[in-house]
Amino acid sequence: MPEITFVRSRSILRDRLVQLLVYAAVLVVSGVFIWILADLVRGGVAHLSWNFFVDSPRDAGRAGGIGPILVSTALILLVALVVALPLAWATAVLLAEFVPATSKFGTIVRYSLQVLAGVPSIVFGLFGNAFFSIYLGLGFSILSGGLTLACMLLPILVSTAEAGLRAVPENYRMSAAALGMSRTATLLHLLLPAAAPALAAGLLLGIGRAVAETAALLFTSGYVERMPGSLLDSGRALALHIFDLSMNVPGGDAPAYASALVLVVLLLAINIVAMKLAYGLQRKRIMPA
Amino acid sequence: MHPSKQGWGFFAAVVMIAFIVLANPGSAASNKLVITGSSTVAPLVGEIARRFESRNPGVRIDVQTGGSSRGIYDVRNGVADIGMVSRALKPDETDLQAFTLAMDGISMILHASNPVEALNQQQVVDIYSGRVSNWKSVGGRNARITVVNKAEGRSTLTLFLDYFSLKNSEIKPHIVIGDNPQGIKTIAGNANAIGYVSIGAAEFEINYGVPVKLLPLDRVDASVDTVRRGIFPLSRPLNLISRPAPQGLAKEFIDFARSTQVHDLIEAQYYVPVSIH
Repeated sequence: MPEITFVRSRSILRDRLVQLLVYAAVLVVSGVFIWILADLVRGGVAHLSWNFFVDSPRDAGRAGGIGPILVSTALILLVALVVALPLAWATAVLLAEFVPATSKFGTIVRYSLQVLAGVPSIVFGLFGNAFFSIYLGLGFSILSGGLTLACMLLPILVSTAEAGLRAVPENYRMSAAALGMSRTATLLHLLLPAAAPALAAGLLLGIGRAVAETAALLFTSGYVERMPGSLLDSGRALALHIFDLSMNVPGGDAPAYASALVLVVLLLAINIVAMKLAYGLQRKRIMPA
Repeated sequence: MHPSKQGWGFFAAVVMIAFIVLANPGSAASNKLVITGSSTVAPLVGEIARRFESRNPGVRIDVQTGGSSRGIYDVRNGVADIGMVSRALKPDETDLQAFTLAMDGISMILHASNPVEALNQQQVVDIYSGRVSNWKSVGGRNARITVVNKAEGRSTLTLFLDYFSLKNSEIKPHIVIGDNPQGIKTIAGNANAIGYVSIGAAEFEINYGVPVKLLPLDRVDASVDTVRRGIFPLSRPLNLISRPAPQGLAKEFIDFARSTQVHDLIEAQYYVPVSIH
């Protein structure tokens, strides 16, 4: 009898310990996020105002705002997504739905995407500068920056979308076939909506990587802080602005903190909205009331 | 309700907006200048360009950064109309013309709490080549020296090596940094570190209470003032370069950037306008 109690109390102790460790890990992870956020708020909130969002930077960014930089960032992101999303999701559909998982072609495509995913962003920047800016003659422009980012986003978007489509249960496809639905209809009305949360998660990872990109944009979309008049103008991205303020402009710390705070809040907002949209889409399309 | 149709409609609208924005031709190329190069000079030239634009409506000046070597490369390739170089041109760069905008000094910096008040040339060389590794040997407290060096390709590194007759391969750095404020932040965060940065950038940060101090060089105080008076031994010109001789808009801009109309901008970045000499 005492032997059993001992074993049981030991296993209870072990459970508690594991529980404690799990909670500690959670605490550390969220602690890091809260620390970063608190640091940004402490350093940047005093510098924030409506004018900070609409004004142009002055005195190398120490004064003025980030209006044109927000517009440039949004345009770069728009170009990147408009180009990358159709390509990436079409590739994912091909890999997940039309090519057997073990086929040679699929393996080659997947392998090359994995290699692409591991390429450092400065390499994309140099490629973008050489190909889009110089060879195609787009110069330092929002267009060449956006296209460079599109190349960078492809691997993330393809792999997340492919994983999402593969996670859709096989009997969905069987049932659709049994009902005589065409492959296109199955894809548009069933599989893509069912995979919507995965697509949204991939999109968010992509947006996060794109908005945080500095190295790939330095030599493609450039350093100009003027309000862009067209996609062929050079425009400074927000992350590049933060990097320049904190590393290259003496006394640029306060606006750098404020800009970083804007960037983080922006990412949080995009996250929440996209998650809500994806959940809504999934429910509306495949779980009718 | 056909959400998918809405989705495609939204997508089509986005593409159309993108093309409308794209189709807007912007300004004519003849009224545009592209300037690339040194990250030290870029913020200053950006400010000068903004003032030039406001006085010459319709003109656009795009300032890009990337380092002095990039400025030279881009001007030689015709990617840029004007380059920015934060040092004097080398003998193998005679195909380019340099126009000095401003002067800047470079000096050693230590943490403000470091008791060492001065180092002579031999001591700096010993510290950077690793022969002296403790502050005690040069009159400081008993602590290991953290040597902060600049990254390859930086003008500051070239000037430092020339002045102290060192080779970069002889230097044993613990930390390698890029731009000046990064160097100042590194020293401010490490009480036993030594580095060298632009005097202008250091003076700016010291005025804002950052705990670093500038060391005199060959018994000349390191300050914007001694650079202005031309007596500080390690100073460098901040240049605009072009190939061939600048014409039209490029010439107008270079003349403007060297005129008294921009001296307040140069001083606001803690550099020394040249014509004061």
